[in-house]
Amino acid sequence: MHSSKTLFGGLALAALSLHVQADDQALIERGKYLAAAADCVACHTVPGGEPFAGGVEFKLPFGSLYSPNITPDQQTGIGDWSDAEFLSALHEGVGKDGKRYYPAFPYTSYTLMPDDEVQAIKAYLFSLEPVSNTVPENTLSFPYNQRWGMFFWNLVFHNNERFEPDPSQSEAWNRGAYLVEGPGHCGECHTPRNFAQALSSSQPLAGNLVQGWQAYNISSDPAHGIGAWSPAELVSYLGKGYAPGKGVASGPMGDVVSHSLRHLSDDDLSAIATYLLTTEPQSEGVKRPDPVSASAEPVSDAGLGGQLFAGACAGCHSWDGSGTQSPVATLSGLKTVNDPAGTNLLNILLRGHTAPELRVDQQMPNFAKAYQDAELAAVGSFVLQHFGQTGASLSADDVAARRGNTGH
Amino acid sequence: MIQLSVNGTQHQLDVPDDMPLLWVVRDVLGLTGTKFGCGIAQCGACTVHLDGEAVRSCVLPVSAAAGRAVTTIEAVGQSALGAQVQQAWLDHEVVQCGYCQSGQIMSATALLQRQPAPSDAEIDAGMAGNLCRCATYTRIRAAIRDVDAGGAA
Ligand code: FES
Ligand code: FES
Repeated sequence: MHSSKTLFGGLALAALSLHVQADDQALIERGKYLAAAADCVACHTVPGGEPFAGGVEFKLPFGSLYSPNITPDQQTGIGDWSDAEFLSALHEGVGKDGKRYYPAFPYTSYTLMPDDEVQAIKAYLFSLEPVSNTVPENTLSFPYNQRWGMFFWNLVFHNNERFEPDPSQSEAWNRGAYLVEGPGHCGECHTPRNFAQALSSSQPLAGNLVQGWQAYNISSDPAHGIGAWSPAELVSYLGKGYAPGKGVASGPMGDVVSHSLRHLSDDDLSAIATYLLTTEPQSEGVKRPDPVSASAEPVSDAGLGGQLFAGACAGCHSWDGSGTQSPVATLSGLKTVNDPAGTNLLNILLRGHTAPELRVDQQMPNFAKAYQDAELAAVGSFVLQHFGQTGASLSADDVAARRGNTGH
Repeated sequence: MIQLSVNGTQHQLDVPDDMPLLWVVRDVLGLTGTKFGCGIAQCGACTVHLDGEAVRSCVLPVSAAAGRAVTTIEAVGQSALGAQVQQAWLDHEVVQCGYCQSGQIMSATALLQRQPAPSDAEIDAGMAGNLCRCATYTRIRAAIRDVDAGGAA
């Protein structure tokens, strides 16, 4: 009797703990998905380093910030953080011991996430192997090194509020709005910043220059934003990194697709598209080129730029920019060929497009070593003039300046 | 399983979707006339035709060629134009070491298909992605002009 009771008790406990384990596992899985949606890994991992171990440098005009280690290491990570401390970091930008974060950490977006989603992210992070990694100290100059100053910044620019669905909108719209404004923190790059480095509330998603790349206008304006994209094109761009004739995600946005967006469900990507297509149109920034197509005939009198295009580019991109090798190589219709400064164009020529998960026909080698500044300027100018309408040209100095930009 | 038509023959191939067509053609089908040069679409040695258009097979996933007609150097001579191009190549003794030449012939045939009477500048533009380290460019140009003179199209 006694022993059977014990046995029964033991079984019940085992069943209970199995149940708890399954619950934990579900919570961790949910947290993993949300951590992907919030793209935590991007800022908390140095290239080639341990995921989430921190140390990425953010160069600001007044010094450098380093992202912290958010693995559950007790000494160098967040292993000794309580739930409340983690919540306060994501909702209020105040970390353990009352340290105030700088808004390079997008708590002004994450604050929209409900408590249980934040705790799910914590559960996921705490399920990872602790990594011992002490990140460098921030090097901000006075007065920007005074963390308490962020108290006043927060008073003015931060609302500690959760996401409130708009009952007049569809469920998909609300889901999209939540993902874009909350965990996805799209505005952190795509919304211009004001004098105090806060997101400009009057120009949401109107585009911005970030880490030397154009984070284009993604408002619903058809000419300057994504208003002319179909929902399917947006989903393709977000989930696969390209929408032929509309955009190819490269540089930092390529990383966002790679680390974050491609892990989201199709329903969530469609929800994001639904929301983005209804945002307030902002008519500024780089304009899409008119879809007048360039001629498919080789251009034989375009000088050095045309010769280089013939040799190095036309094989994949085609003379009409339609992409011989793959629709991903489509150039016509891209903002990148219509930005008179050639910002992303030169970045891609210099860095290539080579994320390892991309298929062979979606990759592009870099031309940084193959050509000199004057040659890259010539081919860049040719591309702008052949496929875009700004008539802009680039100089060797423009290329030299871009060479210095590593994208981090 | 991928259904691939190469030189008029249908193949059922058990290869990864993203395997470059060049690998399939050379290593799986054993058609080694198509050459590997750079692997990044910068030299043209691997040029084949996809529905008559010149493509770099080193950066074309085999799945992108499924359901379309692939023609390699082994079969280009079966079309009248392809045969004329090859004859012109022989007449002008274009080939030096030969490594780039299957790609050159594939590109030239596709060019002449599009533009039956290309000017020198058009030849240069149309053939510019095909490198030849033996620098046979002048003979390539002469041979292409000759195909036109022979009234291929
Ligand atoms: S091997 Fe394909 S272009 Fe060089
Ligand atoms: S003949 Fe030798 S590389 Fe062209």
